[in-house]
Amino acid sequence: MINLDKHIKPSRDYYLALGLEGSANKLGIGIIKHPKGELTATNRAEVLSNVRDTYISPPGEGFLPRDTARHHRNWVVRVLKDALAVAGLVGRDLDCICFTQGPGMGAPLQAVVIAARTIAQLWDVPLVGVNHCVGHIEMGREITGAQNPVVLYVSGGNTQVIAYSKNHYRIFGETLDIAIGNCLDRFARTLKIPNDPFPGYNIEQMAKRGKNFVELPYTVKGMDLSMSGILAFIDSLAGDMFAGNKNKLLVAADGSSVTPEDLCFSLQECLYAMLVEITERAMAHVQLQQVLIVGGVGSNERLQQMMAQMVQDRNGSVFATDERFCIDNGIMIAHAGLLAYRMGQTNELWDTVCSQKFRTDEVYVNWRDD
Amino acid sequence: MASLDYIFQLDVPFITTRQATIALNTLSPDPILKPNEITVEYSTKDTQLSIVFKGLSDRVIRVAISNVIENLKTIVECMEEFDN
Repeated sequence: MINLDKHIKPSRDYYLALGLEGSANKLGIGIIKHPKGELTATNRAEVLSNVRDTYISPPGEGFLPRDTARHHRNWVVRVLKDALAVAGLVGRDLDCICFTQGPGMGAPLQAVVIAARTIAQLWDVPLVGVNHCVGHIEMGREITGAQNPVVLYVSGGNTQVIAYSKNHYRIFGETLDIAIGNCLDRFARTLKIPNDPFPGYNIEQMAKRGKNFVELPYTVKGMDLSMSGILAFIDSLAGDMFAGNKNKLLVAADGSSVTPEDLCFSLQECLYAMLVEITERAMAHVQLQQVLIVGGVGSNERLQQMMAQMVQDRNGSVFATDERFCIDNGIMIAHAGLLAYRMGQTNELWDTVCSQKFRTDEVYVNWRDD
Repeated sequence: MASLDYIFQLDVPFITTRQATIALNTLSPDPILKPNEITVEYSTKDTQLSIVFKGLSDRVIRVAISNVIENLKTIVECMEEFDN
């Protein structure tokens, strides 16, 4: 049994942590409260505020590091003020300030850590560096109550199948090239559909109207996936479709022409089938019955539905969160950081440099002992 | 090693010594990506933060200065809102 209360402030029976997330195009700041003692179904973490501002690029364009960093700089103080006001707190009430230390885009990460360092010194509160992926996993576990799930982490920058073993979140399978969200985002750019609220959402809505399945390459490589070839393939199909070039793949079985909606539908079905396959194999390997889906693509209902079908056959259960928690947010950084803080981890200023590469399995998960 | 002949000094006055120190502590952890092309040194004296850039050319110095100023804007904005 782990003692999580060695570092509690003497006058208190709870903890307060602020989290800053800015590893991609979302700037999120949230404040979480942990009651004393182990977190259980009756002794739960409480979200005091969860504020987010997203940098949205025009249709046909992605978000570039420089512009995204500028967005975060412009908004960080305003979002911070909002997060404190919603929670009804002042900075000095906090036990720790948690920030995303990686992985992610370098410039946006750096823009946000500057604010974190400044307020930590102004309020005399320690800093805690958090791995972005571990933030997703811990927040997913807390919100859904999944004790020890196989985690499918799917977002714009990451695609990993993860399971916990001996104080580390081990990566069982991952993408060999681009992330699934990146694949969807870039196809949305090819179709010039809006990035608001986010490209994957708009693809999902179009896919609902698709009827004809176009066969795409299916590229599961053992426990890993490859998606860049699928993207190149479907991009060239879309190119032919817009140019009016003859292509027998663009004629459906009933003789009608394949539409952009059909392509969205086909892309989703193909990619999600690949994810379901490697998740099922990981479940069989580690003999777990629970699946937790985290990351921005985790908010996709079709993915959740396909995963549920597979898991039902195995008599297991699927856990997913809604967009407040699966799309990048500050609260997950606050939550995972506070767990580490309660185990005694803090970062000195010299040790707060962010890194674009920071693997999930590098983190020593000493707040779990199962 | 190439000589870093281009030198520029930026002096930033703060209201208190503490603020100048916080700014220095906030800026100094991040490493310089190409130390053979540019070096940046931070120091404080009373309420003033001084930053000395030594670079291979005007261009690399300009990039480094603009980066530091962007970061300083965030720091100053945080101080304005939250230092009370």
